[in-house]
Amino acid sequence: MEEVLIFIGMAIVTYSSRVAMILLLGREMPALLKRWLRYVPVAVLAALVAPAALAPRGELEFGVQAWAAVVGAAVAWRTRNVLATILGGMVTYWLLKAFGF
Amino acid sequence: MTHKPDLAKEFQRGLLATLPLAPGVIAFGLLYGMVARGVGFSPLEALAMSAIVHGGSAQFIALDMWHAAGPGTIILTTWVVNLRHLLMGASIAPHLLGLSWRWKAFLALWMSDESYALAIAAYEQGQGNHGYFLGANVGVALTWWGSGWMGAMLGAAVPDPTRFGLDLVFPLAFMGLLSAFLHSRLHLAVALIAGWLALLGAQFLPGKWYVIIAGIAASGAGLLLEEGTRRWKRS
Repeated sequence: MEEVLIFIGMAIVTYSSRVAMILLLGREMPALLKRWLRYVPVAVLAALVAPAALAPRGELEFGVQAWAAVVGAAVAWRTRNVLATILGGMVTYWLLKAFGF
Repeated sequence: MTHKPDLAKEFQRGLLATLPLAPGVIAFGLLYGMVARGVGFSPLEALAMSAIVHGGSAQFIALDMWHAAGPGTIILTTWVVNLRHLLMGASIAPHLLGLSWRWKAFLALWMSDESYALAIAAYEQGQGNHGYFLGANVGVALTWWGSGWMGAMLGAAVPDPTRFGLDLVFPLAFMGLLSAFLHSRLHLAVALIAGWLALLGAQFLPGKWYVIIAGIAASGAGLLLEEGTRRWKRS
């Protein structure tokens, strides 16, 4: 039972961050804020990608994973397609692993 | 979208869009379930944590400190780890302006990194709407909850996701979604700055602070660069 109380506490703090800006930001946003927000998605997505691709265990790694990420980035750039990017990166990873890298 | 979207159809589209990410979600869901079992959770408790908290990395971090820390520390850590959703919420808010507060509150409930990325990329391409966003939320949520429960049922029999490189699915999927935003040199510059700052930050900052710092700094740099090039062109 105590677990569920902790879960609920965790849920409240998590949900508050998720919902706060969505509810608070209305139509009367300052122009500067609006312009800034247009750059936030690209910044957040890149910030999520880079460490997950190049430093999955916290330290920079230039192994099979990094090469697969490079191929994935090239496919993403050319095709702008999620499925193609995932397949390109994963196939590169599995091929390199299969050849003993 | 200028016409009114067919909600059911858009929901389905969002749901389907989560499929390519499913192998990544399932691999980590199974691992989460196994770790939860190791900490002493029953499969039902593991499922309850996913369904109530619904935050992948926060759940892993909480399990890691479950027996070592008190409830206050666990909740505080969860709060800090998930602060990045403030930034995601702020950037998706301009697309949700026409919705009722009920819809907004409901869309925020199961917003994950993955469903946010899917939804914001769809909005960027003019193909986003609340039906699609909800579909993406639900698709990721059901996969996460289900695989976590499965992992707890299977216990120690779960393979390590890194063994098949399945931890790569997330960054690859995010790259594919990120490409929708790279329509100018300025945006490319913002992405490179953010990626570089995040790499740096991930080495030195605890938890997910690197997302917040790199997200704010790089988008701020984008605004400054935009302002700078505008003045330079005018002069």
